[in-house]
Amino acid sequence: MIKTILQRLLQGMLVIFVLVTITFFLVRLLPGHPFLGERKLPDHIIAQLNEHYGLNQGAGIQYLQYWKNILLHGDFGPSLVKESLQVSDIIAQAFPVSLLLGVLGMGLAICIGIPAGMIAAYKRGCGTDSLIMLFAMLGICLPAFVIAPLLGISLGKHIPGLSVAGWDNPLCVVLPALTLGLINAAYIARLSRGGMLEVLSQDFIRTARAKGLSSSRILRVHALRGGLLPAISYLGPAFAALITGSFVVESCFQIPGMGLHFVNATTDRDYFLIQGLVFFYGVLIVLANLAVDIALIILNPRLRSQSSQ
Amino acid sequence: MCAAVKHLALILLPILSLLLLISCSEQESSAQKAARDGILLIGNNSEPQSLDPHKATAIADGRIISSLFEGLVRPSPEQSSIMLPGVAQSWQHNEEASIWTFNLRPEARWSDGRPVTASDFAYAYRRLLHPEFGGKYAEMLYPLKGAASYNQGHAPWEQVGVKVINSQTLQLSTDGPCPHLLQLMLHHIWYPLPAHVVEAHGGMLDRRSRWTDVDNWVSNGAYTLKEHRYNNFLEVAASPSYWRKQQLRNRGIRFLPIVNGFTETRMFFDGKLHISNNVPPEMISYARAQGGSQFKQTPYYNCIFYRINCTSPPLNDLRVRRALSLAINRDALVNKVVRGAGRVTNSFTPPSSGYHVETPKQPATQAEREELARELLAEAGYPEGKDFPSIEIMSSSREVQRIMAESVQAFWLKALGIRVDIRSYEWTAYKAAQQNRDYQISSSAWSGDFLDPATFVELWRSGGGNNNTGWGDPELDAALNAARRSQQRETRMSQLAQAEQIMLRAQPIIPLYWSERCYLVSPMVSGLYPSPMESQPLDAVKLNPEPPSNKP
Repeated sequence: MIKTILQRLLQGMLVIFVLVTITFFLVRLLPGHPFLGERKLPDHIIAQLNEHYGLNQGAGIQYLQYWKNILLHGDFGPSLVKESLQVSDIIAQAFPVSLLLGVLGMGLAICIGIPAGMIAAYKRGCGTDSLIMLFAMLGICLPAFVIAPLLGISLGKHIPGLSVAGWDNPLCVVLPALTLGLINAAYIARLSRGGMLEVLSQDFIRTARAKGLSSSRILRVHALRGGLLPAISYLGPAFAALITGSFVVESCFQIPGMGLHFVNATTDRDYFLIQGLVFFYGVLIVLANLAVDIALIILNPRLRSQSSQ
Repeated sequence: MCAAVKHLALILLPILSLLLLISCSEQESSAQKAARDGILLIGNNSEPQSLDPHKATAIADGRIISSLFEGLVRPSPEQSSIMLPGVAQSWQHNEEASIWTFNLRPEARWSDGRPVTASDFAYAYRRLLHPEFGGKYAEMLYPLKGAASYNQGHAPWEQVGVKVINSQTLQLSTDGPCPHLLQLMLHHIWYPLPAHVVEAHGGMLDRRSRWTDVDNWVSNGAYTLKEHRYNNFLEVAASPSYWRKQQLRNRGIRFLPIVNGFTETRMFFDGKLHISNNVPPEMISYARAQGGSQFKQTPYYNCIFYRINCTSPPLNDLRVRRALSLAINRDALVNKVVRGAGRVTNSFTPPSSGYHVETPKQPATQAEREELARELLAEAGYPEGKDFPSIEIMSSSREVQRIMAESVQAFWLKALGIRVDIRSYEWTAYKAAQQNRDYQISSSAWSGDFLDPATFVELWRSGGGNNNTGWGDPELDAALNAARRSQQRETRMSQLAQAEQIMLRAQPIIPLYWSERCYLVSPMVSGLYPSPMESQPLDAVKLNPEPPSNKP
């Protein structure tokens, strides 16, 4: 297993290197530049600014300088739009907020999605299954920018203590986490229902039934482990996406998280911030996928025997 | 089905119990609590780019910076065109209004207790203009004698018209008469800098300096920086060393960077804000109905218009440009698209005292205007829009701009029989295309930096950086130059109006409407006066926690 982990880590490093390289050159191909404001700046001012930030050099030299700064000094550079702020400061301030929201959202999604999927699979074809899948389909089809204001207006305005938006007391986390949780619960419910149905139709489950085991024991002990595999594969990337913030949910609830930075940095052509965020996101995705791989190896005996060979 | 509901209820039980628990918690709204503490909660559009007056260019930044710093003069809270003494307690100028002497008040202090001196102003102006600093708004100091040459590296600092006579006296010389210098000085570009602090954190030219961090912060305004939580809020607290501290009506201001106008309006009605920044057009009728007298709509020094690239056919033909302008039903545009948040116009500069522009004559009714537009188009060789080449309106991806472009597209099809396409760009690509003149018709807006028509009319100087239409007229340039040399206010205003009339006759733009600001003000707030500029002085705003919360 250690060999598999090391292999995955090496692959991950390669992925991050390629990701950062492609991003570095792609953002410089976009029309416009970071100093393009409401008013046109005189050419000599743009030249002064480019010189300050080393943007007057060739792209190759800038690229080498970028890696040198990261590897030797751990410096991801300054934000070119929010000057006097370092990219690392911005991530350090916003990430804990998105992490909290992501963990709560994912927790809710798992608590709702997995039991819902299991019950739907067990009650396949009857009213319960249809009702759960109807809600799951609604969660998948309704975009976050509809669910977020709906929750804000229906719950935030009427339940004292909850707020429609803002980040000024601990309860502000409830509605955004609920929005993220409900959307992801819908996916998880469908995936775990599919996984469970596949497992429930297999021979060893029939054997278990023939042995006279109770339905709940069959579900919990025999079917659950195999039935959850599709949902677990989904959880890794979904978790990485959740903890790096959702632009729509953050904008609707006025949350100071990472999602806003992704969109704003791109529209502002804030080169160093885009690169820093992509780097960070890349690392999280690689780690989340690694965690999923390990979980799958533990849960799936076939993978375990492959990895030990 | 009964079992189905039971199962669903089981799944949702944790959420329901959580909500029940929450509903038993505290009831007081954030706005009421803040009002009791004397803290004003205000929506401020976006997270500031910088608190350094020389790096900040956004309007949201300007509002925060003007509460933290004070310039030589400050605007009256009741009327922004009236100037009150700020750091300068008095000033004189020569007859030509080209040499200004400011006497600084001895009691003016930085928040660390050090006196504010003339050298702090000279230091600030030198930094912004320094040829190696890259000051984005350095051009705003160009009225100072020799400033442009120094900024472009052609002359030494000693030749710039900034002279420190002694620690309490500053003399500024302008490039020709500048009777409106005090108006210009309301912009944060003219504020002083704490030279001792900037020097202690990397020096004048260090763009990555951390002197604006909360721990290092020193300023001379009514407030000082208290806390900055990125993308969440920025709070300023009344400065104990401010010379007018007895007259401050609140203890601090919390600026919330809320970009999404829908979220902001919801937050206001949920008691999270005392003053909102902007009600989006789609929410105006809701905010008006729910808010009643809390809803405010006030004039704003801004014009919405279409730029025309006049360098290629068919738009290089004045008759075509006039026809396009006449065929737009501006009343419908203002009433339906921006839901009444504007005033229809056929000229460019919003009204201000002493400035009057004669707009080109046109028929009274929309039907007659459309008839004239068809005639002009036929004269230009396109009767009933036949053979009219395909043209494009470029807009940014902002919702209002897109809807407006779609309406104009419909007006032109109906009245002139011509078809136009719409090209929607994200913000930076849109600005790049506009500045490179890579468009045919571009949805545009312009806001004044200071309350003077020059900030609008100077835009149309031949080859000007923000003209971007390819149109220019030496006659207009001559009128603008004459206005720059003029010492008399009335003469200057009539020369600026003459320049605008030349532009309006040539129609390189299609003016649409002057915007109005729509925002919400809680009944807890008093002492907030409408201003056509963005920065209303907030130190005069008083909070009364007694009135009920603003929840509808």
